[in-house]
Amino acid sequence: MTLFQRVRSVLFGLLMLAVAVFFIVNPSDTAYMFVISVLTLGLAGKGIKDIVFYFVMARHMVGGKIILFQGVILLDFALFTGSLSNVPKFYILLYLIVIHAFSGVIETLRAMESRKTVEGPWRLKLGHGIVNFLLALSCLVFIRQTHTALIIYCVGLVYSALIRIISAFRRTTYILIK
Amino acid sequence: MQMDFHYYATYCAAYIAGYSHRESLDIAYSAQFVDDCSRTLLEKIKGPSSAATTQLQLELMEAGTDPVGLQDITRIWASFHFLPSDLYAVKEKCSKRYLDKYRLICGPNGDLVVKTVELAKGKPVQSVGIAMHVLADTWAHTNFAGTPSLVINNTNHVFYELFPDGDGFKEKQITFRHKKSMPDDLDNSIYTNSLYQQNENTIMNLGHGRAGHLPDYSFVRYRYLPAWGDYEEIVKDNPADYMKAFTQMIYALKYLKGEVSEFMKDTYDTEACRPWLDRINEIIRKRQLTAADDWKAFGEELSGQAIEDFSISKYFDEYTNRGKEERDETFIGRFIRGAMAHKGMVIDEIYKSGNKLAGTVKEKINRRAGQ
Repeated sequence: MTLFQRVRSVLFGLLMLAVAVFFIVNPSDTAYMFVISVLTLGLAGKGIKDIVFYFVMARHMVGGKIILFQGVILLDFALFTGSLSNVPKFYILLYLIVIHAFSGVIETLRAMESRKTVEGPWRLKLGHGIVNFLLALSCLVFIRQTHTALIIYCVGLVYSALIRIISAFRRTTYILIK
Repeated sequence: MQMDFHYYATYCAAYIAGYSHRESLDIAYSAQFVDDCSRTLLEKIKGPSSAATTQLQLELMEAGTDPVGLQDITRIWASFHFLPSDLYAVKEKCSKRYLDKYRLICGPNGDLVVKTVELAKGKPVQSVGIAMHVLADTWAHTNFAGTPSLVINNTNHVFYELFPDGDGFKEKQITFRHKKSMPDDLDNSIYTNSLYQQNENTIMNLGHGRAGHLPDYSFVRYRYLPAWGDYEEIVKDNPADYMKAFTQMIYALKYLKGEVSEFMKDTYDTEACRPWLDRINEIIRKRQLTAADDWKAFGEELSGQAIEDFSISKYFDEYTNRGKEERDETFIGRFIRGAMAHKGMVIDEIYKSGNKLAGTVKEKINRRAGQ
């Protein structure tokens, strides 16, 4: 990782942290709309990324055109999501419960499998599994609270930000013995 | 390639090249150990993690696909298992990002193979074994890159096994499944491969995962459509390639032993194994999941000595029972130094070609290296 990439990673991580903390402290409908906008932008970003990926890389790949079609469809979904800002939050929480509970089961199973063969990595997986279960449980417990979806989203944002910042300080060079 | 070739066939090549039984065993052990020296193992014996020559499946699952993680994966796999054949390859009308990956496609007789063998010259048998592993894999793993890449390493449904039939071949569509727990079904041409993943940098798209173990079987011939090949099919003739790998190893080993003055590309010592050519061909062409028993029997006939089975922990005690300062002179210590020197050379060459996928080398004069 170059110095520029490291600095960029740290700055972006700090920005994510700041936004997450701000929304957790001050949850509001405006913040919720902001998150919807972010999701719209995220989907649009992925769609555009796929289209760019096609022209930069997959254009030379056998069967690469499927990636171009996928990009166009995602971009279309982004526009659709942006127009659905009035969906009841209850459904969004149900969606989060299913996603996190499923992730929790998968991570825990992988941790158990890892534990049988190699020591070490399974603890991190188990940790991920437990966090996912806790998030699913939180959604269930606070399903009637207005801002639960927003806060759950922000917790995920904090986690991503921390991982991004930690990754920026990882060693990248290799020692050559002459 | 598997243990049958990296351990037993390497022993045979070394013995034919003129090494003693003991030296041939050590070269074979080192060649095979390249497939076992993971970070997990190094951690266990308290060796330096930067000397890792492979990654376990679980290590790969944990590996990040951020630039740092990708560099780490590329350093290991491009250096030891998918040596690039042409770091300056040209492809018209493509981006730099694509070209960087395209240039890491593995193949035999590249400049890096020559540098690999030359680097092992005058070095202990451990470095000789490492070089033989790398050289042999350039034949088996040709057309795949040692970096995660969908656009390079992907394959599709166009995959046919070729069976000799008169003067030509008859074809049979290969079926792939994703059940790793089940052995490949050679009778019905059913093989296990990795899942299709559309993410360019996922480890599922590392090396020949999408082609399963087909490149590792010496007997198989197949026709397929590589992702990078502009819709041109490739016929992979493993029996012919494995024979070339074997005879090129003999030639390289003779060079390393000092019997040949220069190591040149595209040169094979077929003459040295002429008395056993039919026997070697028979082993290579036999349809079986592993040819270890056949290579072992052949090696024992050659030397008249028993070839012990590969025991990964054979030299661990010698290494772990020594103090840190004395470890460099142990068998594993020499292997570690050989692996780091080779990895550093390959990373440096990739970097010098303007390709950042393997990162950079921080040159550091190791005090112990001068002793």
